[in-house]
Amino acid sequence: MEDVKDMPERTWIDELRDAVVEGADVEARRIAAAAAGAGIEARALVEMALVPAMDEVGRRFEANEYYVPELLLSARAMKAAFAVLAPALAARPATVAGRVALGTVSGDLHDIGKNLVATVLQGGGFDVVDLGVDVPPERFVEVVQEGGVDIVAMSSLITTTMPGMAATIEALARAGVRERVKVIVGGAPVSAAYAARIGADGFSDNAAGAVALARRLRS
Amino acid sequence: MTGRERVLAAMRRHRPDRVPFDLSFDMAPAKLDEFRRRTGSALTPEEYFGADTRMVRLGPSRLSSDFSFWLGAATGLALDEWGIGRRATSSADRAHAHLDGFVHPLRDARQDADLRDYPFPDIDADYRYDHPREAIAAVQEAGLAAVAMMECTIFETAWFLRGMEALLLDFADRARLAGALLDAITARRIVQARRYAELGADVLSMGDDVGTQRGMLMSVRMWRQWLKPRLARVVTAARAVRPDVLVFYHSDGNMAAIIPDLIEIGVDILNPVQPECMDPAALKAQYGDRLSFWGLIGTQSTLPFGTPADVAADVRLRVETVGAGGGLFLAPTHVIEPEVPYENIVAFVEAVKASGTR
Repeated sequence: MEDVKDMPERTWIDELRDAVVEGADVEARRIAAAAAGAGIEARALVEMALVPAMDEVGRRFEANEYYVPELLLSARAMKAAFAVLAPALAARPATVAGRVALGTVSGDLHDIGKNLVATVLQGGGFDVVDLGVDVPPERFVEVVQEGGVDIVAMSSLITTTMPGMAATIEALARAGVRERVKVIVGGAPVSAAYAARIGADGFSDNAAGAVALARRLRS
Repeated sequence: MTGRERVLAAMRRHRPDRVPFDLSFDMAPAKLDEFRRRTGSALTPEEYFGADTRMVRLGPSRLSSDFSFWLGAATGLALDEWGIGRRATSSADRAHAHLDGFVHPLRDARQDADLRDYPFPDIDADYRYDHPREAIAAVQEAGLAAVAMMECTIFETAWFLRGMEALLLDFADRARLAGALLDAITARRIVQARRYAELGADVLSMGDDVGTQRGMLMSVRMWRQWLKPRLARVVTAARAVRPDVLVFYHSDGNMAAIIPDLIEIGVDILNPVQPECMDPAALKAQYGDRLSFWGLIGTQSTLPFGTPADVAADVRLRVETVGAGGGLFLAPTHVIEPEVPYENIVAFVEAVKASGTR
């Protein structure tokens, strides 16, 4: 990483991807800044380094090579790089993949998984409206009614709060805005069968999968 | 057999007259209300259903530590003696609300020196053991097994104090802080384990959740580096004063990867052996000569979603496949949540009592 000016784009991307996969946040920030300084487009860095990095992290997690701590480290590194690139991305709103309103459902205060999904979605080019935790159905409805939201993403960690997902979907329907958005769900007790039963449009049991799902629903 | 004899025999892998049982961490508040309504009884569910154990905890602390510096502007919190804050949540009235609404007093710690002035609780003070001394004797006098509670032994207490994300990141980049925090907790747990053992507790109930539904929360390598040696010190302290005290270790989720390590450091009993993500019969085949199994009746599956007949069949299946030669204690795998039909609790108890032995 000494002679940064002469590095070809491919190498920048590899270096940044590796730094994120390895969870090296200081390194990731430095490489992102240097690459941007060398004229590599922010969007290319996000799409070709950050997103594939988080895909690889997701793969390693699935394969039990990575665990939650490694996931957190990589997410932190990705955020660090993303923060450097965000201003350049924001200058070109046309590139946004979609807007996701995301939150942990009513009665549930768990946010590690929800935060990971938010970070990875941002890395994947989505504009994320993070509604936080313990989000009542009316709040989701309100945000959808305000307009501009393409996807509603809900998280729940415990069986007792899962019904909040169904209640939110019902509330969206009652308010007449269900068809405006796609609804995706995730969290430890949630399954594809449950998602189908409550009328969600998609389910993922991991963060990388959530990005792939969101992209699929937007294509 | 008395309940105590039954528990001790089964957990030492001798044949009891029937499989021992209890109700795990008991019922969620809403379920407890239903129990009162249905039975009209003033007894605890353990007393009412005739469980073989009773939990024993420390007497109350006389400290009144001021955690306001650590908790900052957060108000309206319920504090425990560690200074861990809990915010009321909308689920609190209808569920057990465990692990909800934490405010982590050490969330802003940056280095090990930041812990120096932290008012850690006096769980190691002599007077805290006056109550357990009497309680253990009374439980045993009643013919029941005394289970001395020291759950959330190290890791969970550490992340309750620090925040889970923060602690897991500390393992990577603030090793001195993480080590100092775990050591401060471990030092107190060592005293607690020794005192419980001295007082004659039958089972030392340790535990830290390190499993998820699909595997370990952290890598085995990381667990071995940070937690195993400290847990080993706690077990060793108890065994030094009473070599035959039964050591129970609780972790939710699939934590099969560390079972050999747990056996190595002296754990006798694994709990709750969640059948949704681990195969109790396979574990019995692999470790049954060295390890006993406690729990196994799924609060994510049969108890909430099965019929009473399903629950009874589940009890018979576990007795059949795990109960041979002792080594089995049946209990719900966790708190009995509000959606568990009351009839299923009754069916569980009746099936266990009819279980006989193998």
